[in-house]
Formats: sequence, structure tokens, C-alpha cells
Amino acid sequence: MARYITQRLVYMVITMFLIATFTFFLMKFLPGTPLSAADRLSEEQQAVVLAKYGLDDPVPVQYFNYMVNLVQGDLGISFQFDNREVTTIILDRIGPSLQIGLQAMIIGTLLGMLLGLVSAIYHNGFLDYGSTFTAVIGQSVPSFVFAGIFQYFVGVKLGWFPVALWGTWEHTVMPTLSLAIFPLAIAARFMRTEMLEVMGSDYITTARAKGVNKFGVVFKHGVRNALIPLITVLGPLAVGLMTGTLVIESIFAVPGIGDQFVKSINTNDFPIIMGTTLFFAFFFIIIVLVIDLLYGIIDPRIRLAEGE
Amino acid sequence: MKKANWLLLVLVLALSMFLAACSGGDDSDTGSDGGSDGGDGEDTEGSGDTEQVLNLMETAEIPTMDVSMATDAVAFQWLGSTMDGLYRLGEEAKPEPAIAEDHEVSEDGINWTFNLREDATWSNGDPVTANDFVYAWQRAVDPDTGSEYGPYMLGGVIDNATEIADGDKPVEELGVEATDDYTLEVTLEKATPYFESMTAFGTFLPLNESFVEEAGEDYALEADTLLSNGPFKFTEWNQSEGWTLEKNEDYWDADNVQLEEINVSVVKETSTGVNLYNNGEVDRASLTAEYVDEYRSSEDYRVIEEPTLFYLKMNQENEILANENARKAIQMIMDRQSMVETILNNGSIAATGDIPKNFTTHPETEEDFRDINGDLVETNKEEAQELWSTAKEELGIDEAEIGYLGGDTETSKNMDAYLKSQLEELEGLTVNVQAVPFQERLDRDTAMDYDLQNSGWGPDYIDPNTFLNMWVTDGANNKTGYSNEEYDALIEEAGDELALEPVERYENFLEAEKILIQDDAVIAPLYQRATAYLWNSSVKDVGVNPMGADFDYKYAYKE
Amino acid sequence: MDNHKPNKDLFVPVDTREDDSEKISRPSLSFWQDSFIRLRKNVGAMIGLVVLILLIVMAAIGPSLNEYDQFEQDLSRAKMPPKIEGMGWLGMDGTLSTVQTNDSLDQAETNALMRFNNDEDYIETTVLNDGSNGEPAEVEAVYDVYAAKDMEEQNFWFGTDGLGRDLFTRAWEGTRISLYIAFLAAAIDMVIGVAYGGISAYYGGRVDNYMQRIIEVLIGVPNLVIVILMILILEPGILSITIALTITGWISMARIVRGQILKLKNQEFVLASRTLGAPDGRILRKHLIPNVLSLIIINTMFTIPSAIFFEAFLSFIGLGLPTPLASLGTLVEDGFQSLQIYPHILFFPALIISLIMIAFNMLADGLRDAFDPKMRE
Repeated sequence: MARYITQRLVYMVITMFLIATFTFFLMKFLPGTPLSAADRLSEEQQAVVLAKYGLDDPVPVQYFNYMVNLVQGDLGISFQFDNREVTTIILDRIGPSLQIGLQAMIIGTLLGMLLGLVSAIYHNGFLDYGSTFTAVIGQSVPSFVFAGIFQYFVGVKLGWFPVALWGTWEHTVMPTLSLAIFPLAIAARFMRTEMLEVMGSDYITTARAKGVNKFGVVFKHGVRNALIPLITVLGPLAVGLMTGTLVIESIFAVPGIGDQFVKSINTNDFPIIMGTTLFFAFFFIIIVLVIDLLYGIIDPRIRLAEGE
Repeated sequence: MKKANWLLLVLVLALSMFLAACSGGDDSDTGSDGGSDGGDGEDTEGSGDTEQVLNLMETAEIPTMDVSMATDAVAFQWLGSTMDGLYRLGEEAKPEPAIAEDHEVSEDGINWTFNLREDATWSNGDPVTANDFVYAWQRAVDPDTGSEYGPYMLGGVIDNATEIADGDKPVEELGVEATDDYTLEVTLEKATPYFESMTAFGTFLPLNESFVEEAGEDYALEADTLLSNGPFKFTEWNQSEGWTLEKNEDYWDADNVQLEEINVSVVKETSTGVNLYNNGEVDRASLTAEYVDEYRSSEDYRVIEEPTLFYLKMNQENEILANENARKAIQMIMDRQSMVETILNNGSIAATGDIPKNFTTHPETEEDFRDINGDLVETNKEEAQELWSTAKEELGIDEAEIGYLGGDTETSKNMDAYLKSQLEELEGLTVNVQAVPFQERLDRDTAMDYDLQNSGWGPDYIDPNTFLNMWVTDGANNKTGYSNEEYDALIEEAGDELALEPVERYENFLEAEKILIQDDAVIAPLYQRATAYLWNSSVKDVGVNPMGADFDYKYAYKE
Repeated sequence: MDNHKPNKDLFVPVDTREDDSEKISRPSLSFWQDSFIRLRKNVGAMIGLVVLILLIVMAAIGPSLNEYDQFEQDLSRAKMPPKIEGMGWLGMDGTLSTVQTNDSLDQAETNALMRFNNDEDYIETTVLNDGSNGEPAEVEAVYDVYAAKDMEEQNFWFGTDGLGRDLFTRAWEGTRISLYIAFLAAAIDMVIGVAYGGISAYYGGRVDNYMQRIIEVLIGVPNLVIVILMILILEPGILSITIALTITGWISMARIVRGQILKLKNQEFVLASRTLGAPDGRILRKHLIPNVLSLIIINTMFTIPSAIFFEAFLSFIGLGLPTPLASLGTLVEDGFQSLQIYPHILFFPALIISLIMIAFNMLADGLRDAFDPKMRE
């Protein structure tokens, strides 16, 4: 196990290194400098500005410096926000994103599991069709459409929750719900399939034959075994949430990292784009790692398979 | 089966309990760090009428609050709200005394002496002195500061500013001097009649030297590394969420300031803004075309006109656009009226010249610039086609393909699609639209890497020169390759010999605009911008400025 | 009692021939025929298939079903609500309505009329609440846009957008482009993924080792971010969006194919073929790929809707196709801005996008079940 983790950590570092290199050179291809209207600046001034951002060195030197700074956790200074460090900007904005992301993940998966369970128990019944339909809709309709509808009907028409902005817990409700629909749909569909499969296995038949009632079987044997594979979808789910935050945050004016990423794309703020890219990548890699480890711990079969 | 259902119910209940527990935890989490914000919002909702709290939105965060580094509307807006310069734009954009009580100008218009008031203080208690201006202006042109607007605004106006920015002279030689604590002597490079209104602009605001030097790199990054000498001061500045301003009790004119607090949130989407407005959480929301349809009849509907002009810039390095007839055809083919009525639908006016309506008036007759020169472009599709045929003949081509650089906002997307289809009415013309972020458009403008470009210009001071000066040969913002000696001469004359002859000077500008638009067809004017708002009618006396800070909240109050 | 005893003569031995016992009584079905039979029995999958075929047919012929062109603008007919003759009961009668609330009834009525430019000839007002019960007065105004614009002869089935372009034509043009992007991306993913996974697994050893290390590094790259970065460089367009989508898209396909082939390659039939001297290419093509085909199809079926989704998402953050090209993504994004005022602009493209996603998902689910031998009855 220890060897496996070390190996994974090495890959992580290589991946991060490659992504950092890739984004760095990608950004060098793009037009745009911190000098928004270079002609307004005298050459003397341009030199000063470029030096401030370390852009006066030859590209290989810039690359080297960037990497050295990166290792020390310094991502440079933003182009659009004068004198602001990218690291601070990112740290400032992680909180809200993480909060709605986690809430959406928890609520979505739990409700989704419940829905999938109902589906499986009442297989081919009215409830099954109902919840399968809900799940398919949830998976198929883009989350920003839900967000717009929620905002208008729940926020404005019903006035139950704040329409947008950030501050109290109430403000997180609608972004969370809009974001939760996707994990809900995925979890529901997955749970349904898994449960149906598990319910068809021999040990369930055995348990039923022994006289355990239907619900006893479902909860004691079924759910537990269906849960294990559910972990595999957590990775894709986390990615889905990441995608979701980019649009949801701007609709609900949540001061999160996704919103900042989109804004920086629209303003060609390369240091922030690079910083957030690395941050997203890091976050993603960690999630993949954790899921793989969890999976290995829970399901002994996987550990054996890793040996090959 | 009954039992089964019951079990399910228990499960649901258990789950919802769990959820409630989760969310409960989150509640206390955020309550501690961001609680005060939300509390304020709810209070004002209940008794908004009497409380002097204004809740506003911006579409972007403040990029910088550093006077020397500010370049955009958001920064100038909030600098203007927290700072007083020598003058402040008052009613009808007339400069009114702020830190300066009055000033004298030498006969040749070169030497300006400002007498400063002695009761103005910074929010840390220091008096506002002439030295604060000297420091700020020197800092703005110092090449080490890397300011963009400093050399741009001061260069050619204040003596030696350009040379200092180029590194040819030390900053001390800038034509500004504090003869004593409350007297500021300014030496201009040449007579500049509009200098008074310039002093109200953000770049000319004073800075407290000891405070700025002490804060160093952290200056203007947080609410507590900022200093105010104006009507309001920052109490909270959370980059991403928004910021809060409070009335500055130390302000010299604090008696005339009625608002106690201004809360600003950053909201990008129009629909979100409108929803917030409808819920009473903000006092003003800007509207896009669709929303204007819906809210036009509302009592809260208001249109604010600005002297900001949008036009198609035509790069004359492009073979086709170098042809005058082709440019004139482009000017004439576009139906501006339908465009402002349907696509913009926010009170914007079809533009027919280079100078916007209601911007400046003739010094003698008081007639509006636009009214005197009239419509310099008109829509005439037949004539446009004829001109275009001539152009094609002259160029020896049947078909032409040109690029078009547009913006990336929702309105500009519709606008781009519309202009593409309008321009393509010219037979054999293909327009390739490229939507790029604002920043990239500026870069490509600088590099002259475009054919057609949808561009805008707002005034930096109240004088036709701010719109016309840019089109002189090799002007920093020309970037069309346009060069006409006659035009250059008219503008130069207006800046030099005629500087103190307001009437002749104005005539020069009128003449220059005709050459620019009618004779040489350098740009194709599109529209003069206006913004439609839902505006809480109990908010009164918000000043609207043509330049610098768009709105002035100094005298604003809530009924 | 004797009557109950059957006569022995009634029992005649069956004339059994040697080969009869070897005979297969049910018709011989190949894997594909068998799967297809199962697929046909799956109601959901069949509905998905039918919907999908309908959508593809509409994408092909839809734009030419009426006289309007997708780029044809006319500002005088901007933002027209949808109207289909005889479908008025569905709300598609070409009218707009508003409800105005005010303390005074007169004012509410004035506002209601003003909402539609006081075009009184074509406005019908209904008082919903005259304010006598202490609540604010409410007046509903219904405006017949088509009559007001003297366009009663014309029908915009899905309405028009802010530039007066026919949304019916644009919606199907958009569907065409979105499907095109999705199919192309899925095809490229498939080719690269199958080749990579196949080669890696089949050759095994050092080749596999190196190729897997590369995948393990790439898998950590969040595709969302890479897609966005690629678009920034390539400048939005049909091809660049497709390429961006495939940059990391093939990885999951490669992993699935590799896993399956690893399992297969040591099985007897492959060994037999190899012993008989079949070259590598033949073994891959004839034995291995056909056996992983079902997995490849299923995976592709899931790739297509996610590509459509991604395209819509890119449009939403401003990195979609350049105007005036229509894709489902740009149409949805366009409509989102006026969701509250002119919902029809959003509704139809959003409906189509959802239908495509639902259809693909149901079909893919059905295929997965159909290809699964465990499901065989």
C-alpha cells in the first residue's frame, strides 16, 4: 500500500509539472500583456511594468522563475488587479466555492441515492419511472437553466430565499440546489443499476430464502454492497461540480473561484488563469487519488488487481 | 406493504434530519465571518425609507484604488466617491470648488495658482495640503510607477510631464509646486482652456505622501490601506463580494452629505440584478434590451445618457478600407435608427458625428455642437451601393473579405451579428466576426491588427478636443493610419494659437469634425450610449457626470 | 379400472436419428442479432432511438421547412412570440401578455397598455383584481403581436430572436452543428482511444508500461480546464471546439479498451489464432476489436451527449461559436438572457438539447443492457 501511494504521489508531481509547463507555454502563445494600452506608456515605463511582472527576461528564464516561485507557492501578481497576488486572490475565493460544492455534493448524492433506491425497490413500478425520469431530466438539462428558473420562481416569485449575493447561509441555498441536481441525477441512476444488480445476486436470494423480509434485505445486504461502486462516480461528479460552479457562481453572484476564472478569461489575466488552472488540476488530482485509495481500502479485490 | 412504506418514511425523515444538521453547521460557520453583511441587507429592506443607506451593484470588481494606476470606470467611480480633487464636477458637469477654493490664471493661460481650503483633512486626521497634489502628480508621471493614465493625462498639459515619463528629466522638474501649504502653483506646457475640468479627473487627485510611502506595496489593497478626503470612506472592501462605504465625518463639506452608507455588490448578470432589484435588495439595476420592453412602463424606469460614442474604426492599412469610397459606403449602409431602437433599446441615440450630443456648447451662441454641425452621416442604402461599386472598380475587385473585431458581451454579440448582416448588404462583401475580450481588443488596436473594429470613446475632460485630438497623424489612439495635414493643422491651431480664443477655437473643431467624418470618412459613427435603469424613485439627487466618476453620491439622499 | 389403463399401443418410440440430438431447436443468433432482439424489447431504448432519429431528421430537413433563412434579419419582426396555426391552446398563438399591478386601477391599466406601446387596437385588457378588496389592482393585457405588425399571414413556429431571425430555422441549424461537433468529437475519441488502448494492451510489456504511465499523467489533467485553454488559443470555431473536446476525451476510451483486451488476449481463441500464424494486425482486427465493440459503442453513446453539453457550457462562459453561427449552446445562452421576458427564445433550444441528452442516455442504457449476456433470458 505504501509503495502504491508513493508511486501515485510521484505521478501527481509529474502531472502537476506537466500541466504547469503546458499552461505556461500556452499563455506565452496568447496575445496580451499587462500593458493594456502600450502606446500610452513611454518605453521607459513599459520596461518598468514588464520588469514588475518579470516579463523582461527571456522566456526560458521566465519559465525557470515561474517554476521556482510555484514550488514556493507564489503564483505571481494579477494583471487586472493592481499589485494583488494570485495566491491571495485564489485563497480568498476558495471558501464559497468549496462550501456550495460540498453542500451540493452531499445533498445531491444522498437524495440521489434515495431516489435510486426507491427506483430499485419498486422496479418497473410507477415510482421507478417517476424517479428515473427525474434523474434523466436532471442529467440532461443544463444546470444554468435550472439556476435561472430557481432564481426567478423561488427567489423572486416565492421569495423563499435570497435571489443572489453572498453572506448568510440562506444565500447558499439556491446555488447549492442548482448545483446539486447533477450529482443527484448521476447518483440516482447509478444507485438504481447497482441495486438491481445486487438484488439479483445469489446471496440476496439466499437471504430472502432464509426468510429475511424484503426491506431487511435491501438495507442490510443491498445498500451496503451497492455503495462500494458508487465511490467510482464521485470523481466524475466532482468534475461535474467544478464545471457547474463556473456558471452557477456568476448567476448567483457568488464570489467564488469559478466566477473569478471566467472573469479572468474575459480579461486575459494570465497569471490568474494559470493559477486557477493549477489549482483546479491539483484539486482534481487529489480527488482522484483519494477516491482510488478509498476504493482500495473498501474493496479488497482492487488491491489484488493493482498487482498486475 | 404498509410496514414497508413506513420504513421508507423513516428513512426520508432520517435523511432530512441529517441534511438539516449539515446545513445547520454551515450556518454557524458563515454566520461568524460574513454575518454582518447579510444583517445590514435585511435591516434596510424593512425600513429603507428613512435609513440613508444606498445599495448598489457593479458588474466588475475594483481593479485598483491607487489614484495613479486607475484606468477604468469602476475605479474612477469609487475614487470619485471617496476623494476630492482641486475641483469636483457639480450640476451640469460644471466644476465646483472642492479642495481648491478658487484659482487665478495668468494672462497667457500658462500659470495657474490654486488657493486651497484650510479645513480639508484626510480621514487619518492629516490636513490636505498643496504638497499632496505635488506628490500625487509627480508619482503619476514617474516612470517607476508604471502609470498608464499619468503620462496620458498630464503629458502635453503639465510642463515637462512627457519628458519625465520618458525618463529624460527628473520628476522634480514637473510643473507643479507648493508655494506654501495651501497654495498650489501649476505651470502648463501650453494654454489649456479645459484644465479646470481636468482637475476633477481621477488621475489628478491628491495623495498623502507619508501614508502612501508607509503602506508601500500594500497601498490601496485593503480598506485600511486607503485614505479618503472626500464625502465617503471605505469601511469594508472584500474584493470579490463587494465593498461598503460610510459617510466620512471628517470631510470638510460633511454637512452636505446625507447618505450614511453605500453598499456595493458585484453582480455580473443582468437578470440577477433585476431580480435583486425586484426583491428590494438594491436601489438600482441596469437593464438590457429585453428587460426594457418589460419595464419601460415602470415608474422606476430611468434612462441616463452619456457622452460616450461608439463607432466602427476602419484600419486604412487594409487595402479595401484605404479606399475612401469603400469607407463612405460602410458609413452609409448601416441603419442606425433600428439598431438603437431594437438591439440596444435603452435610450441610446444614433450617432451622426464624432462629438456626442449634449456634451459641449458653442461659447457664444450656446448651441450644441451636434446641432451646429448636424448629421454628418446618414443612412442611404442606394448611395452606399453606388459608392461601393465605385470602390470595387477603383480597387479592381469583385468580392472583398474583411475582418471585424467585436466585443464579447451579450449585447455586443447581437450588435456584431446585426452589423455583419448590414455590412454584407454591400454586394460581394464578406465580414468575418471575431469576438475578443476587451483587453485583447485593446492589444490588437495598439498593434493595428484589425480591419474593422467596434470601438468606443468617452471624454477625459469636457472639451471637443478629447474626441478630436486622437485622430491627428500618429496620435496614440488613432491607430487607423489616418493622416491629413489639414486636419492636423486645425487641431494644432486650436491647441496653440487659438487656445485663448474660445470662439475661433470652437469653429476649428467644427471644421475638423466635418473633415474627419464627412470628407475623409475615417470612422463610421454608430451610437451614443445611454443606459436604462430600474432606479428606486426614493433615491434623490444623484449627480450624473459625463466623465470620471459616472455618478456623484455626495448630495444624494433617500426620501 | 381397466379403462384407466392406457393402451400400450398408443406409445410409439420416436424415430431418433443420430444427428438430431445435435440439432439446435432455436434459430441460431449471432451476438448482434441477439442483442438487437433484446434492444427492441427495451421500451426506453426504443423511445430514445425514435426520438433521436426524429431529431436527426429534423436537423437535416428542419431548416428548409419554411421560407426563412437562419441569418436573415429583420428588426421590425424582432422578438416575435411563437405561433403555430391551430396550436393556440398550447400557448403558441403569437401573443404576449403582461400583468401589471398598481395601487390604482387606472394606473395599472395605463401601465399594461404602455407595456405594448399603447397599441390599443391589438391589446385586450382584463381586470384580474380591481383593487376593491384592499389589495393592489391587477390588470392583464394580451397583445396580438402578429396582428399589430400586420404579419398575420406569417407564422414563426418557434418565434424570432432579438434580431428578427426565425428561431425554428436556427434551432434546427443549431441542432445540426451541435450534433456534428458531438459526432465528430466522439469519432475522433473512438479512433484514438481504441488505437491507443488496443496497442497498449496487445503488445503489453514495456510498451504497455510506457503508454500507461502517459495515461496516468494525463488522467490527472482536468479536461474542463484544458478545453478552455485550448479554445483560448485556437479561437472558437466548429473545428477548434471539436479538437479541444478530443484532447483529453479519448483517455477513458483507451482505458476501457485496454482493460477489455487484456482480459481477452490470453483466451484460447486468440492463442489458437496466433498458433495458426495470424499476424498481430489480424488478431487485433478480427478477434479483439469485435469483442470489445459493444463496450466501445456504449462508451461512445455517452460521449456524444457530454460533448453537446460541453459545447453549451463553453457558449455560456463566452467561448462558444462566433456569431452569427447557431449551435444549441449559443442559442441557449442567447435565450438565457431573456428567460424572464421572452422565454420562448430559451425554451425550444433548451428542449431540443434536453431531448438529445435524454434520448442518447436512454439508448445507451438500453444498449448496455442489450449487450450484457447476463440479461439474456
